[in-house]
Amino acid sequence: MRRVWIVLALTFVSCWPAFAGPQTADHSGGELHFCLRGEPKTFNPLLVEETSSETIRYLTGGVLIRLNRQTQALEPGLATSWKVSADGRTIKFHLRTGLHFSDGTPFTSEDVAYTMKALMDPQLHSPTGDSFRSGEGQVTVQTPSADSVVVTFPAPVAGLERLFDQVAILSAHSPKKEMAVLGPFYVADYAPGSSILLRRNTNYWKKDKEGKPLPYLDSIRLDIQRNRDIELLRFRRGEIHLIDVLDAEYFDRLQKETPAVAHDAGTGLDSEFVWFNQVPTAPFAENKKAWFRSTEFRKAISMAINRDDLSRIVFGGHARPAFGPVSPANHFWFNSSLPAPQYDSAAALRLLAQAGFRLEGSMLRDSSGNRVEFTVITNSGNKSREQMVAMIEQDLSQIGIKVNLVTLDFPSLIERITRTYDYEACLLGLVNTDLDPNSQMNVWLSSAENHQWNPKQSKPATAWEAELDRLMHAQASATSDKKRKADWDRVQQIVAEQQPFIYLVNKDAMSAVSPAVVGSAPSVLDPHAFWNAEVLRLGADPALGAQK
Amino acid sequence: MNETQKSANLFRLALRRLVILFGLGLVGALASATLVRFAPGYGVTERDLDPRLSANSAEALRQKQALNQSLPAFYFHYLSALARGDLGESDSLKRPVRELLRQRFPVTGNSVIRGLGVAWLAAALLASLGLVIRGWFFEASAIAFNSFLLSLPSAVVAMLAVHLRAPVFFAIAVAVFPRLYSYIRNLLIRAYDQPHVLAARARGLGSGAILLRHVVPLAAPPLLALLGVSFAISFGAAIPIEALCDSPGLGQLAWHAALSRDLPLIVNVTLIVALVMLVANSLADFAGRTFAGSTS
Repeated sequence: MRRVWIVLALTFVSCWPAFAGPQTADHSGGELHFCLRGEPKTFNPLLVEETSSETIRYLTGGVLIRLNRQTQALEPGLATSWKVSADGRTIKFHLRTGLHFSDGTPFTSEDVAYTMKALMDPQLHSPTGDSFRSGEGQVTVQTPSADSVVVTFPAPVAGLERLFDQVAILSAHSPKKEMAVLGPFYVADYAPGSSILLRRNTNYWKKDKEGKPLPYLDSIRLDIQRNRDIELLRFRRGEIHLIDVLDAEYFDRLQKETPAVAHDAGTGLDSEFVWFNQVPTAPFAENKKAWFRSTEFRKAISMAINRDDLSRIVFGGHARPAFGPVSPANHFWFNSSLPAPQYDSAAALRLLAQAGFRLEGSMLRDSSGNRVEFTVITNSGNKSREQMVAMIEQDLSQIGIKVNLVTLDFPSLIERITRTYDYEACLLGLVNTDLDPNSQMNVWLSSAENHQWNPKQSKPATAWEAELDRLMHAQASATSDKKRKADWDRVQQIVAEQQPFIYLVNKDAMSAVSPAVVGSAPSVLDPHAFWNAEVLRLGADPALGAQK
Repeated sequence: MNETQKSANLFRLALRRLVILFGLGLVGALASATLVRFAPGYGVTERDLDPRLSANSAEALRQKQALNQSLPAFYFHYLSALARGDLGESDSLKRPVRELLRQRFPVTGNSVIRGLGVAWLAAALLASLGLVIRGWFFEASAIAFNSFLLSLPSAVVAMLAVHLRAPVFFAIAVAVFPRLYSYIRNLLIRAYDQPHVLAARARGLGSGAILLRHVVPLAAPPLLALLGVSFAISFGAAIPIEALCDSPGLGQLAWHAALSRDLPLIVNVTLIVALVMLVANSLADFAGRTFAGSTS
């Protein structure tokens, strides 16, 4: 019997380190700790296409021009100044001198030239590079001196300088290739599937107002954590310092517990919307295709949806009714003259009657007597979208329309909306990271792949889509922001009139930041909570901070 | 038959067994690839919704993806690459599959071995305690506790581990323990009830001597077989547990591969898991037979 207890005691002692909680952190230098929601697919900043890699690029990459996430203004980065030519094809940069990459390699105009050539290589298929493609032909890069670069594009590029916010400069000569960086941090360690450690780049060029070198933080540890419940649990335990994107449900829960940590920066750029499938070859009944092609039908659906309720109930008030492709958070490009959407079931029924629909008892029927019923697909596991469809179902039942909900995992959903077109309506969200309308060319051009309601048209199916094409091309080739704004305002107006996408809400940009983080100022633009990582630091009280 | 012939026969037998094991693993892996290939959403990624990509880039990436569209072609390319020791590149993580497996396998192996160790130790101790105490209350409590653990799905165990900050191997141990306990308990009871063990006890032989000389030799062959089975169970439990606990092992990788319909990754992860399980079972079987042969 004694032997049994000895074995038990030995077992317990051998397992003890694993059961013991994490050690108290030494916050002498400060290590910020937060989670990535997926494995970064690449550390090459030119190939970034998803959020995790984008986070690494943002924190490590040095860019010529940086978009200030709070003021939405462009600020000098590695370039002290820049000038775009009158024809919008050429941009000339003056670079900072005496800078070095994280591994000590000197930074010169050659590095910018090398980066731009690599980025614009057609074989690279880089989303960042493709944003610069406005016409056929080669991009030329000249380096008149070590501190100046001239980049010439084959055709005018709308919002050219803003695109450089996404271009992290690579070293032309460093043996470390893309791991040599010019940003505030560099990748010091990567444990696949587990975590990434970023350390302070001591060669970073920026200093604070008192002349102290930035960043303040010693390091940032990014844990790969897909499960949002666990992420929240870890935040509440003090194991991580911030959650960059927070759902309304989690936000409310945190706000009730500790109001100081929950931050709602206001209406964000992201929108939620529903659209009807107007693809002529879609595999469903012709009468439904006729409904979905009808502007009156789409407008009536839009009028019959109570967006205020969606904002209030589904998002707990942390969203704003939406009625166009641009959020009011996008100060310059938002068309403020658009009328706000009015919830009016009676008006919706009148509009439907004009289009030949009639209400029989509690059922709406079309001119051929078919009951109006359709199925909305959305991605599974997204509670707020499922709730939105449930509320839309209720709203539309008031005008006799039956709505069914089908949830699909994301790959299946994408396959239906981009390949098989086997769906009637879809509710999705758009995570908008770019302020400029040019980034939406592939959405609004009728020939584009992301023209979701009827993609890849050989010629515009409707007159208003032809007009959208014209306006989008016009804004893309215009060099004056005023002219571009006028064209883009008209696009927003047409979308509001035709409702190809029925915009529902613009969600607030919500995040959670521990009180231990000093200098935090969450913004509506992405990234929300760590956009100013270089000036963040941890407070003196280790009890408030995360544990290593 | 002389010793040389015996060794040659044994070698041939082992070789044949290995070929059969590899063949079975390969069949399992290709079957899983077939299921993934025909799953809805195969061949599409979130990148398809990225409005920044130009039409040329989107088409080029689609063409690249189309290389795996034909299953016979995929099988051919996969098997010929496998013959050269090339496991291909993950579609979703853009890294060589060999590198991914090399990074993840030790994590899972470590968790499984430690979890198995804890589960075996706890099950053996509890079963032995039951034999020593032999009271109805202890027995009923142990059975109730065991049944409770047995009723817990691996996912629930994983979530409990997250909430209790327990390590992954502990969750694996909790998932495997109840399956081991009842089996070990029955084996020990049966061994202790053998007439010669009863006679040894009647003669006043010490409990340690009875355990080592009479009980262990009797229970060892089925226990060795159980070791292989328990290894397979713990490896199976590790997949959902690692996925839910976000432990960077094969489970997390398999989960990611399934969700992203990553054919090269899923086929290789399945091959590795199938091979590990088959080899563990075969070794346990072989060890059990050898032990039984040597003691008979």
